[in-house]
Amino acid sequence: MIVAVDEAAERLGLHAGLALAQARAMHPALEAIAEDAEADAGLLEKIADWCLRYTPLVALDAPDGLTLDIGGCAHLYGGEQQLVADLGARIAQAGFAYTIAIAGTIGAARAAAHFGAPGSYTGGEERGLLAPLPLSALRLAPGTVAALARVGLKRVGDIVDLPRSPLTARFGGELLRQLDRALGLEHEPLNPRLPVAPYVAEQRFAEPIAREEDVLAILTRLAGRLQFALERRGDGARRLELTLFRTDGEVRRIAAGCSRPLRDPAQIRALFVERLAALADAFDPGFGFDMARLSVLVAEPSPPEQIGIGGGENAAEADRQVDQLADRLSARLGSRRVRRLIAQDSHIPEIAAANMPAQAALAAADAGWPAFRQFRAEAGLAPRPLRLLQRPEPIEAVAEVPDGPPLRFRWRRALHEVIAAEGPERIEGAWWSEHGGHPSGNLARDYFRVEDKSGLRFWLFRSGLYRDLMREDLAQGAAAPTWFLHGTFA
Amino acid sequence: MIEQLRQRLQALQKTAVLDGAPGHLPLGIAAIDAALGGGLTRGALHEVAAVSEGHLAAATGFALGLVSSRRLLWIAEDMALAESGVPHGPGLDAFGLLPEQLLTVAAARPHDLLWAMEEALRCRAIGAVIGELRQSEIDMVMLRRLSLAAADSGALALLLRAAPPTDASTAATRWIVGASPSATASPRFAAQLTRNRRGPLGAWILEWSDSDERFLLATPAQPVAAPALDRPHRQVA
Repeated sequence: MIVAVDEAAERLGLHAGLALAQARAMHPALEAIAEDAEADAGLLEKIADWCLRYTPLVALDAPDGLTLDIGGCAHLYGGEQQLVADLGARIAQAGFAYTIAIAGTIGAARAAAHFGAPGSYTGGEERGLLAPLPLSALRLAPGTVAALARVGLKRVGDIVDLPRSPLTARFGGELLRQLDRALGLEHEPLNPRLPVAPYVAEQRFAEPIAREEDVLAILTRLAGRLQFALERRGDGARRLELTLFRTDGEVRRIAAGCSRPLRDPAQIRALFVERLAALADAFDPGFGFDMARLSVLVAEPSPPEQIGIGGGENAAEADRQVDQLADRLSARLGSRRVRRLIAQDSHIPEIAAANMPAQAALAAADAGWPAFRQFRAEAGLAPRPLRLLQRPEPIEAVAEVPDGPPLRFRWRRALHEVIAAEGPERIEGAWWSEHGGHPSGNLARDYFRVEDKSGLRFWLFRSGLYRDLMREDLAQGAAAPTWFLHGTFA
Repeated sequence: MIEQLRQRLQALQKTAVLDGAPGHLPLGIAAIDAALGGGLTRGALHEVAAVSEGHLAAATGFALGLVSSRRLLWIAEDMALAESGVPHGPGLDAFGLLPEQLLTVAAARPHDLLWAMEEALRCRAIGAVIGELRQSEIDMVMLRRLSLAAADSGALALLLRAAPPTDASTAATRWIVGASPSATASPRFAAQLTRNRRGPLGAWILEWSDSDERFLLATPAQPVAAPALDRPHRQVA
């Protein structure tokens, strides 16, 4: 079935909804291209990205339309008509056919664009604009439109003056809601595709720029403009995004995160230097960028800091420098690769000390370690290994049943004779959750610290207890408790 | 003329002296400190290699004991972390490290690792950087750059290797460390100094004392005869 036709086909009398065989019968020399809904959706998203240069409030009107809120942006282009002309020129240059309509409400503008009344309508003209349009111009379900047609109501003008309660009773509340929204009686806010950034600074260039140094210079200037706005509110940027618009329509987005709220343009520039270095090839300027926009995606209050007068570094200054280093490393290598150790409230060792990205916001600045040390002193925990394997490795061990420490074990094809062992330390899963709060299930672990002949020390555990197994279970082939190696001591 | 050249050379050669911090990190054991010329040189690159991969945890403990710095950056390759495990917070306390001041970096490639080490050495607030490498050969140029970066900032740079390296090195000291049997709770290390720019080589058995947070000598030192080289200042123990 035909989904869309171009102008030439339209002139020949073909339209959407016709069966392909019938169309071929009418005109054998047809060129039919298979529909690819995903690619079409991707293309629409790209065009929406492109339209971000005019306004941040862009919404998709699937499958083939976009809604832009240009209130307050039109003056940058010298007026609404000029903005429409610019947008139209770019879209035509990319090879698309389009209709653009400007109106005071989303419903009216959409109806005008889709149903053949392109142009610019000031607020208040919606009634006149909508009256001659068919009822499907209001975003109604096809069933409602068909029901209305059966009663003889075909145009918007037919229902505008009818009494409201019978309409609602017969056709549902949606009909009148869409009508009110289109006429401007009820406010419908635009749902933007991307969240609107609280702070934005942008710059257009008469000549497209392509070199990295130029981009960084522009970035510093934009960051300086943002600095005024941020300082006035006492905020700092935690996440920044640089959007570069290419002349041929592609949009490049580079984001960077910071460990603490930033305002200083020099520090922001340092972050993006690393980001650009990490991107290298992917940063393809094409024929150049003709617009750059720096937005602060996440802003946090950043109280003014006291600079120490005395010489020498104090702890706060050192912390700041380490944070900046973490930012630079994260910008270059990726924020998942730069980590801090966080103490969490769990007995299971791999959860008790977790590796989190250094840039993530930490609830407690000291990451919970003093509390852990206090707990350890009070509870008298056994020593913990220096290095913990990310996943416990199964080993073959010979040990006294049911509770004895291992006598010898084989790990990674090497046999170790155990000379001394300490333990067991029983760590059980969380009995209140279904799987013990742990992927391996609610099996109790008996941990042993063992030392072998050469002085190597390991942290082994037996997963599962013999006392939990019945003889019949073993006879039926239930799994006996297995041994694992979890970590190594110095 | 020669005097002028000598003076210029001395001015160019950077001696690592921080304002307020000594140029050397003493281990607290007279024999080793004498061999090292006062202690482990700050502002230089050192290497610690494990006897074999199984002894890597011991080498790690030894490296941490050497460093005992407030702010530490630990950079490891992904493979190293996957094979030998990640640093475990509760276990770091034993070596005098506060887990909240440790920053770990997982590098995908050796190039990234060396770059991160250089960046970290340039940051004034970092006291020591440990880089854990799996490959057996490192580019000489990169090693030189790391030494220079360390000398600039006065931080300690340590390379942790999983096997004794076979190539000649430009590091200030090179240690080969293995675990040693110990009857008590404190760990013991068999440390062999195989390259020392400032003095003789040697092998010692050291025990780390958790309460004092320093190394203790477990048995008398067994000095190893250094290879014959024409160096007039060398003493034979």
